[in-house]
Amino acid sequence: MIEILSVTGPASIQDLGRFDQYRFGVGTSGAMDDVALRAGNILLGNDENAASIEIPMMPFKLRFGRDMAFALTGAGVEAEIAARAIPSWWRSHARTGDVLTIKAMSHGARLYLAVSGGIDVPVVLGSRSTQFRGEFGGLHGRPLQVGDNLPCAASAAATGELGIEPAEITLARPKAAADETVVRVVVAGEYDAFDAVTQALFWSSGWKITPQSNRYGYRLQGPAVKPQAPVEKRSHGIVPGVIQIPPNGQPIIQMRDAQTSGGYPKIATVIRADLWRVGQARLGTKLRFEQTGYTDALAAESEMSAYLDRLRTNVRLVEETRTCR
Amino acid sequence: MPIEITDIARLAQILAKSGVDTIEIEEPGLTLKIVVDTGIRIATSATPAATDAPINDHSIVAKADVAGHFLAAHPWQDKPFVVPGQRIEAGAIVGLVKVGLLYAPVVAPAAGTVDAVIAETGAMVGYGTPIVRIRPLN
Repeated sequence: MIEILSVTGPASIQDLGRFDQYRFGVGTSGAMDDVALRAGNILLGNDENAASIEIPMMPFKLRFGRDMAFALTGAGVEAEIAARAIPSWWRSHARTGDVLTIKAMSHGARLYLAVSGGIDVPVVLGSRSTQFRGEFGGLHGRPLQVGDNLPCAASAAATGELGIEPAEITLARPKAAADETVVRVVVAGEYDAFDAVTQALFWSSGWKITPQSNRYGYRLQGPAVKPQAPVEKRSHGIVPGVIQIPPNGQPIIQMRDAQTSGGYPKIATVIRADLWRVGQARLGTKLRFEQTGYTDALAAESEMSAYLDRLRTNVRLVEETRTCR
Repeated sequence: MPIEITDIARLAQILAKSGVDTIEIEEPGLTLKIVVDTGIRIATSATPAATDAPINDHSIVAKADVAGHFLAAHPWQDKPFVVPGQRIEAGAIVGLVKVGLLYAPVVAPAAGTVDAVIAETGAMVGYGTPIVRIRPLN
């Protein structure tokens, strides 16, 4: 059991997402940074789909109701448990009654708190993820509140302090500027509805992430990017990562809580291997789009998988070595 | 050639199977010592750490327990884990050893005041390499 003592912003319970309900108009939800979610579960020897707490704002405080291992991944934070500082991307151990305090976020935008065995809320339509729009999944389908008690699955977890290299370091990408995140995109269905000058503007601009950005989508601000003639489309299926251009010419990137359909013209789509980078990009910073082909998008995905494979192997070897000692 | 974590795991398994409890490998700039817990408590203290700084008889040393590259700070932090003069508790993390994608902690064996950070960031350290010298509380 974990008791929430203090929460700022919409923290929620997320696993990798709800993938089989698209045909019923139910979106995926799931962790905005799925690489960090997997990494936390790998550190703990959990199923990689085990549910964690996604924390988008500090401060955050909780109390452990029993001894258990936990891991912090995703954003870089200042965290402390029982007067011990916990580094970023770290696995540690809590004793009954210990209070974990997360004070500040120095890096990134979303922290994942994984516990050994996972947060044991009911599986709804194949996932434990909170679906804000439909108000189901997670804990009563809503953001976490002070006083919430989260059930944790029992587990004979790996113990001992251990850290791992953050994905952002291993999978580092060239940066355009300090406050810019470069994400790779493939062009989408209505790209040709924009003339060459407008297309060039889309690629060359730094797109500011506005405060109207959340788990549903990121609304960006920059020069108006409008099609040559207004495009009117019937609502059609869209997925997280799709970049739509509404009539004001300011792009919207659909994120994990996106609707399953929409009618705005689509100029491009963030490749899956880079979607977590968008999830960790902070409000007020800028995004830059780098055009990528299908083959390179697959290569990026392999690179991401290779990082997770290495993590699994490294963590497993450490546990085996420790058992030998 | 650096010793990979896979080699360490393999060596540990060989030791466990063969009934040998300790192995020590020394190469220029690299020391690896693996001790297998055979159930009989034996003194496992390595040879005294040779450092440039004079060693106070009462000082205690936080040592690396795995071979890899020493990091005085987490890569996302400018500030090192500890600086000389700082009060620390037993079990506090005083640095990291990077092995592949893993960061193993180096912890303070007792509470005290940090005297000196002996290891340099980026340096190769091995089992038993002194990392931080601590003046214990009385």
